[in-house]
Amino acid sequence: MITGMGVISPLGDSPARLHDSLCQGLSGIKPIQLFSTAGLGCPLGGEILDFDAAKYLGGERNLRPLDRTSRLVVSAAQLALKDSGWSAEMRAAQEVGLVLGTMFCSVHTISEFDRRTLEAGPAYASPMDFSNTVINAAAGQTAIVHNLRGVNTTISTGVTSGLEAISYATDLIRSGRARALLAGGADELCFESFYGFDRAGLLCRSNDSAGDFPIPFDSRRNGLALGEGAALLMLEDVALARERGARILGEIRGHGSSYDCSRGQEDKDSVQAVASAIRQALHDGFILPCELDCLSASANGSVAGDRHEAQGAFVGLSGQAHKLPVTAIKSMLGETLGASGPMQAVSLLETMRDGVLPGIPHLEEIEDDFPLDMARAQSHEADVINGLINSIGLDGHCCSLILSRGEA
Amino acid sequence: MERRIVITGIGVVTPIGIGCEEFWTSLLNGRSGIAPVQSLDTSDYNVHRGAEVKEFNAEKYILNLDATRLGRASQFAIAAARLALADAGVEIGSLDQKRAGVSMGTTSGEPREVERFDDSYVSKNLDRIGPEFLARYPCHVIPAHVASELNFSGVNIMIPTACAAGNYAIAHAFDVMRAERSDLMLAGGSDAFSRITFTGFARLGAVAPETCQPFDRLRKGMIPGEGAGVLVLEPLDRARRRGARIYAEVGGYGLSCDAHHMTAAHPQGDGAERAMQQALADSKTKPEDVSYISAHGTGTLTNDRLETIAVKRLFKDAAYRIPISSVKSMLGHTMGAASAIEAAVCALAVFNDRVPPTINLNDPDPECDLDYVPNFARDLRINVAMNNAYAFGGNNASLILRKRELLN
Amino acid sequence: MSTDEIRARVKKSIVAITNIGLDEISDNASYKDDLQLDSLTILEIAVDAEYQFQVKLSDDDLGEIRTVDDTVKMVQQYLSPAMV
Repeated sequence: MITGMGVISPLGDSPARLHDSLCQGLSGIKPIQLFSTAGLGCPLGGEILDFDAAKYLGGERNLRPLDRTSRLVVSAAQLALKDSGWSAEMRAAQEVGLVLGTMFCSVHTISEFDRRTLEAGPAYASPMDFSNTVINAAAGQTAIVHNLRGVNTTISTGVTSGLEAISYATDLIRSGRARALLAGGADELCFESFYGFDRAGLLCRSNDSAGDFPIPFDSRRNGLALGEGAALLMLEDVALARERGARILGEIRGHGSSYDCSRGQEDKDSVQAVASAIRQALHDGFILPCELDCLSASANGSVAGDRHEAQGAFVGLSGQAHKLPVTAIKSMLGETLGASGPMQAVSLLETMRDGVLPGIPHLEEIEDDFPLDMARAQSHEADVINGLINSIGLDGHCCSLILSRGEA
Repeated sequence: MERRIVITGIGVVTPIGIGCEEFWTSLLNGRSGIAPVQSLDTSDYNVHRGAEVKEFNAEKYILNLDATRLGRASQFAIAAARLALADAGVEIGSLDQKRAGVSMGTTSGEPREVERFDDSYVSKNLDRIGPEFLARYPCHVIPAHVASELNFSGVNIMIPTACAAGNYAIAHAFDVMRAERSDLMLAGGSDAFSRITFTGFARLGAVAPETCQPFDRLRKGMIPGEGAGVLVLEPLDRARRRGARIYAEVGGYGLSCDAHHMTAAHPQGDGAERAMQQALADSKTKPEDVSYISAHGTGTLTNDRLETIAVKRLFKDAAYRIPISSVKSMLGHTMGAASAIEAAVCALAVFNDRVPPTINLNDPDPECDLDYVPNFARDLRINVAMNNAYAFGGNNASLILRKRELLN
Repeated sequence: MSTDEIRARVKKSIVAITNIGLDEISDNASYKDDLQLDSLTILEIAVDAEYQFQVKLSDDDLGEIRTVDDTVKMVQQYLSPAMV
């Protein structure tokens, strides 16, 4: 059961604010201010401007050793704990855990640590930075700040990290190993990862004709924009949630994952991997494709990735995909990597609450063989009881999650 | 009736041998892999010794992918995976590859890739870095590369929980198989020696100048190492059907988080104790029925003392009767690979009724007064082995392996 | 470099590392007891002092640093006469 959520995103730091912006078609993708993009092919990113973790934690004092990624997670955790009503006293009495998905954690901190070693010598390397160079640093730091003594795991599977983390947490609760877990993901925007994506030729380029990119599923798409943020769901076993009278936002109905051995290079394999993840999620959730009410796609404007998802959805949903309302919120948030799947979950829960599904801004020409008849540029009404969320990586990982509406 | 999961194959790449046989023989002979560091110029450091893997020929094990386009940790992981499958006598062609998966752990992923980035950045030659940075650096590539090499398209996950990662990865593989999401899992951990890791531990003052002497009064710290360990996990009925040699059954596990400090363990060893307790409960093992403990035993003043405290608190009088050894005395600290390699040690101990020693133990610390199997291997009936691992960020994990004869 | 200058720079670095207000850091403030800093943070302060002043303390010296004053004295000890 989902009893709360916390989100720090380029379009707002509350689920309602995020949802509102998405439904209005606002974009969080703007020229980057955090670092210089001079000489790079893309100046845009979904940056969280003026992010200040002290705002959420009531002061800077506890935050001193934390880098940007850790601060994003600590802040999202604060919001999720508050939203779900898990006070400090309750956390002292009952173990709450954390399962965090992240692709890089902080490659920026790792690089800074290493560059200082190169420039000044190993004697002047920063001990505090070193403690943040491990990929489980953000999860560890967050556990310390919020006294989360339950299971603490970090999952790193690229773009799918956050959704995999939610799946992992769901299974721990199902099997009785945990009763309450924060689960979600985070990644920060930084020069090092941005550079990597740029050099890999994955970032969108504005061109003369349309000017506004990325446009998932559109035949004019030419790449993704990177974003950043953190999103966490509070997951609890149903007995505990009911015992403490928690408000139930929704339920994780099922999940599935698979791996594309061609790493995105062979269309046939990539499509099968997407389809397989979807089918497993349906099977896990005992749900038929026709019982789904919408699809929150992973599509981010990647030429190949969006294609694999569209065709994979067709296969995985046994030809039902064309009837399904579909959204692709990375069009407005950018590709937030580890945070992406959890942000899609937050957005979907909001859609379940108020009956509006965000559109895909600037969507005009969907490719002929994409079975996405229901994709729209404008947001529109949608009564969603069961929603499918996809997370599809750039190099092989696929994960699907099915959410069902809770007794709101 | 829940599936029972057994270990049928072991593959290791270590500072004292590549492959199960060489490794086990070296361990029993108390051979040390600690030597002057070769892969890094340590003249600017105040410590100079490490445990590197010698004479590793990647091309011998990597048959389908191009070894030159993989980072060292991925190379180790593939080698260990192939060795494990060969050891298990598994015919890859006979597998349903959609139901074969990979679950790995790591501390730093592929640090040399980011070091290359930093070298280029500092020398103002960043243009040298191309698309390979994104393809080779993020830590999820490690299990991805293993799967692409072997054509495994099932579950694929990286759990980078630092020095406890191997146990987390094996625990997850165990869960995935019990939930019947997979029929064969390669589970373990991998880490490569790096400037970043060496510098960090040296800067923290955690590195010993000469050798690793866990539990010794004169111990001066840990020795950074590298390597990989991979186990083949199969359901018992399949293992029996194909007449596989069964090393041990995976009995259960426990995970906890200190939520105390990023680099210092909880002063009463609280998290460590909880992880062990959960592992015992999960596997329905009474404390006095544990026959052997593979310690985390890094050789630092604090770890060895706190670990001893936690063991005594949990096991009480039985603590004095259970042999506990630290193979880090021979292997150094192989980071994310450590608990995977140590799980292999437990499986071998259970199978062979022999336990490896803690070497360099000549003057025991009066506060560490348990039976650490000093200096010489011992023959002993091992029914149940416990593998403990503790990581930066306060991640603790304990794994229980038990004798196949205990299975009915 | 005068003692005051060294002390000012050390305090500034403590502020940057810990976010404790400058006015809360007295000259003989004990890192552990008064400022409630853990060993990692204290090490960070010491290493940052080494970096800023380009000096190299021995491991034993590092272990002896307990207050702001200790840090200042240690730096002074290692600074070459030309700089003082």
